[in-house]
Amino acid sequence: MAQDSVLSDELLHHLMAVGHVDVLVGVPTLNNAGTIRPVVKAVHQAFARYFPRDRSVIINSDGGSEDGTPSLVRNASIDDTDTVTLSHSLRTVHRISTPYHGVPGKGNALRQIMTAAELTQARAVVVLNADVTGITPEGVAALVRPIRDQQFDYVAPVYQRHPLEGPLVTQLVRPLMRAVYGWQVREPVAPEFGCSNRFVSHCLEQDVWDSELGRVGIDLWVTAEALAKGFKCCQAGLSPHPATPTRTPFGELFGQIVESAFVCLERHAPYWLSRNGSEAMPLASPPPSATLDPPMVDATRLTEAFAKDVENLRSVLEYILSGETLASLEMLAEKQPARMRFPDALWVSTVYECLLAHRSGVMRRDHVVQALAPLYLGRTGSFLQQYGTSPEPVVDEALENLCREFERSKPDLIQRWK
Amino acid sequence: MAQMIANAIQQAGTNFVESLALFLPRMVTTLAIIIVGWLIAMLLRTIVRAIAGWLRINVAAERFGVAPLLKTADLPPADALLGAIVFWLVWLGFLLSGIDVLGFTSLQGLLASFWAFVPRLLLAVVILIIGFVVANFAWRATLLAAVNGRVPSPRLLSGAVRWLILILTGAMALEQIAVARTVVLTAFAIAFGALSLAVAIAFGIGGGGIAKRILEHQFPEQQRSSADEISHL
Repeated sequence: MAQDSVLSDELLHHLMAVGHVDVLVGVPTLNNAGTIRPVVKAVHQAFARYFPRDRSVIINSDGGSEDGTPSLVRNASIDDTDTVTLSHSLRTVHRISTPYHGVPGKGNALRQIMTAAELTQARAVVVLNADVTGITPEGVAALVRPIRDQQFDYVAPVYQRHPLEGPLVTQLVRPLMRAVYGWQVREPVAPEFGCSNRFVSHCLEQDVWDSELGRVGIDLWVTAEALAKGFKCCQAGLSPHPATPTRTPFGELFGQIVESAFVCLERHAPYWLSRNGSEAMPLASPPPSATLDPPMVDATRLTEAFAKDVENLRSVLEYILSGETLASLEMLAEKQPARMRFPDALWVSTVYECLLAHRSGVMRRDHVVQALAPLYLGRTGSFLQQYGTSPEPVVDEALENLCREFERSKPDLIQRWK
Repeated sequence: MAQMIANAIQQAGTNFVESLALFLPRMVTTLAIIIVGWLIAMLLRTIVRAIAGWLRINVAAERFGVAPLLKTADLPPADALLGAIVFWLVWLGFLLSGIDVLGFTSLQGLLASFWAFVPRLLLAVVILIIGFVVANFAWRATLLAAVNGRVPSPRLLSGAVRWLILILTGAMALEQIAVARTVVLTAFAIAFGALSLAVAIAFGIGGGGIAKRILEHQFPEQQRSSADEISHL
């Protein structure tokens, strides 16, 4: 799609008035009136404190909010003048709030932000998550600096959080992406990131924007694309983010993330089929230290459900999994839920075989992912039971062992993939 | 008198020889048609199986869940079944053509009826195949949605969906080939009505608790499942 069809006439007019910029911060929103003000405030403070000489712009790409989010963004500096009393930006900080066109979803918002960044030739582009109120001016600066000062092309966030938080990332997406792509990225599903103009231009040339991946899996795709296409990547620490209750139900969220991960792996197969092991990704700035509490979850409920789910789904799983893996899962399901321990090796086989079934089209692809969801909950329940009261270093070590198990089994995946 | 008997016998013999002279070529033609038809049917079966193999029909049958149903019904794999259907249709056509050549008055019109029946039979087969595919898809989708949605008795629910679609498909196929049309329609209407009534009564009176749990699950702001209690990302 051409630039002019992504950018409305009004937005083009605004951007032409703004001219070239050094830093562009994009904030996709949809009914974020409750959380948007601290985000915009943090951006203003970051511009004033750390980049006072830079030409800056905030672009809010809105999906049709009905709670006044765009007007809150536009009026943020008037409401929050106290934030710039100690330091002032030497240049005007432009704020643009604009609706995006097309199907609602972060993909179209990001496309609009990236197109605007390309037009204004922004040196550094940062995308923030309007749902998270924990972003600080230092966090914004941490995402900008590696691009602006160190010529990195992509900056992934590193959140300071308890290792038992975010099990979909720690148990599945992180080890899978690390083993397959060969890069140790802590947060592959990054709703916040920084990137260069070069990476923006590359992304806009890809055919992902009108696909399902572009609609629901753009966060994951951006990370994967940066890794697979050889861009210079690093990580930057952000302050602890309070775990915001997700608006998406578990089943839908799991489907979106895992389907996106599987599709990305298929798209980037030529890259990763020849890679072995994994490399550490540079950490441009460490996350600030904080005391972290483990999540309070009743893990036994998850392991109890696992036994029933395996029994119920047997007739579907036998098309997806090998006889050996299915038999091991059935044996596991027969154990006492409170004592169930889902071995790393079995979990890795389960994930890799689902990935292979997803690729081979043994059944509808979303059915493969849906069949994996109860197994993931069983694995999560087992892990929480085993490490729920362990010190953080012990949990970190267990997660590292899981990543290594994924890496160890990669040759088998490659053999079956070909 | 004796002459008359001899003439009659001679006439009968002449008639028999003439009839035999007329019938034998027809018989030979019939046999030729049947044998050639059998050879052509065999050839077509081989070709159809080869094409089906090239199109990976068996893989598709596995994917759409037709293969397990064929196995349960003790039928051959999809490619062999397709070949067998083509073989029997073609050979039966030749067989009836051959019989038609014999000129039996009572069998006249059989061939025309057969060829009029073939399109309906093919349509019924297509309906059955589509029914199998839809039933299996609906079964799997229902099972996965029910398991992930924590709906009670997911296998019972998905199995009921599958068999309902299969029964509906079977009734449509039988109606298409006009086999006991009235009986099939009446039986289906009675069975479907009885099933709906039984489900309504069971759900309304006996399954109030289940209905409550399902409805509560549909409104997650009122009751969140264990999976939704975790911040997965």
